Amino acid sequence: MVMNDPLRREEKREPTPDRRDAGPSSPDVTRPGRDDILKRMKRVDPKQSERYKQRTGQ
Amino acid sequence: MRKRIYGLETEYGLLIKDSEFELDPVDAANRIKNHIFTSKLGILDLHYRANDEPPGNGGFLLNGGRVYLDMGHLEYASPECATLTDLITYDRAGDCIIQDAVNDLGWGDSIAIIKNNVDLETSATFGCHENYLVSRGFPFDERDNLKLLSAFLVTRQIFCGTGRIGACNPHPFRDWEGISVEEPEETVDFQISQRADHIPNEFYRWVQYNRAIVNTRDEPLSDPSKYRRIHLLVGDSNMNEFAAAMKMGTTALMLELMEQGLAHRDWILAESVEAMRSISRDPEFKWEIMLRNGTRTTALELQWKILETAKKHLTGMSHEADWILDGWESVLTDLPKGPEALIDRVDWAAKYWMLSEFKREEKLDWNDPWLKSLDLEYHNISKKSGLYWELEKNGDAVRKTNNEAIEYAKSTPPRGTRADGRGELVKTLMSTQVGYLIDWIGFRLSRNEEPFLMLDPFISYKDEIRNYLKDMDLGEPVESGLSVPGHARRNISRPALYEKAKGFNRG
Repeated sequence: MVMNDPLRREEKREPTPDRRDAGPSSPDVTRPGRDDILKRMKRVDPKQSERYKQRTGQ
Repeated sequence: MRKRIYGLETEYGLLIKDSEFELDPVDAANRIKNHIFTSKLGILDLHYRANDEPPGNGGFLLNGGRVYLDMGHLEYASPECATLTDLITYDRAGDCIIQDAVNDLGWGDSIAIIKNNVDLETSATFGCHENYLVSRGFPFDERDNLKLLSAFLVTRQIFCGTGRIGACNPHPFRDWEGISVEEPEETVDFQISQRADHIPNEFYRWVQYNRAIVNTRDEPLSDPSKYRRIHLLVGDSNMNEFAAAMKMGTTALMLELMEQGLAHRDWILAESVEAMRSISRDPEFKWEIMLRNGTRTTALELQWKILETAKKHLTGMSHEADWILDGWESVLTDLPKGPEALIDRVDWAAKYWMLSEFKREEKLDWNDPWLKSLDLEYHNISKKSGLYWELEKNGDAVRKTNNEAIEYAKSTPPRGTRADGRGELVKTLMSTQVGYLIDWIGFRLSRNEEPFLMLDPFISYKDEIRNYLKDMDLGEPVESGLSVPGHARRNISRPALYEKAKGFNRG
């Protein structure tokens, strides 16, 4: 969908070319960004779920 | 596709992270709400909206939406939006308004605002309500039509659910004689929907307890002779923008098929409530279901059938319809490839992948409390610590809007709906001493006996409101949106507004 209003523009990721431009490379065995996510996960207090005392809403 | 008005209401959870923090979650939510209004992002209600909504409990915002406390939860209702892009932008703007207040109060490291729907320890649940404006002629009173909508809603969770660790033993319908049937506990490691365990009925009009797949309450919040508002509470609060847009967009297309009489009765499920739970809890993601006509199939196959019908009849009707059809097809195509293929578009898949990787790395069991804590953290709206944001930062989450638009939407209403006029009204009243009563359907000022009604959500009313306010003596400017002199509250009552707009009910 093409929209003229920049505030309503949908973001699409452009394909990124292979940096080396040297033909196909073997695929990564782990997903990019996985280590950063795991690092962030390790910082989470393992007990915080016990402190999440919510009332029932709607 | 017909023009629609969309809206989303989000009840947030509040997690106290710092054991030394001096307030309980309800008091903290109240302080956050007050901070939003002292920051001049809106004006607080001056009068009772209901017994549990006293003056000051909440108010309308410059962006036409609303922040308030509901049953102890901080809640944001988006303004009425005419497009999916607007809707997702304004939904995200609500998150930002609340997180900004938390940061301004210096509580960024002490508490977390959690955009989820369940307390994994106590099984308390709270909602994300979807609103779709349809014509009054929409075939909502015929039972098979309700069952068709139910079949769609039960099966859409395979791409709309946000997932959760564990399960809550479902509550059977509580009728007047208090009959209840206990079911044996089932061990569930992970399920794809947060709300599935909390929906014991197929149709019902209540919104607390005895929740239903299809909520049948008729509360149009607009001209009841022209419109009906489909109000759904079965969905999860999405973090992923694409998933939220698909949830709303595919449902809008299903409503369109129903309205045009194109939905097939062969899609009706044999047992909707049971299917809701069994799909959500299926550890192998096969999602097998039984149709009313006796056919065994899967939620994925049924969604394909609905999509194919929508493609046949609705392709080319609008850019938005085509965008929804493309996105719908992309997720249905990728679902059989497994969760990792959908990390960028489906919340439960992203969460499942994260938790599985962490579980393997740390050698944990599914019932380890750490995984429950990580489940919550996926929904933390703070970009500094919430797990979802790491995906967005890495470009691993398909977006529907952008940060500039969200920033703009914090204090500016969307165009094309009456929210635009409401935003103009709030902006003007913020700097006056006049008493006011504002609701979704109109407003009344203490300087005038006659209410100003905004009965058609498709009309902005902006020029009319400007002209209405221009000739009125609105008094001297005031400093804060939190306090209005007592004399400004005189001679105005909520019933007076509704006497002029019978049939709208409260929102």
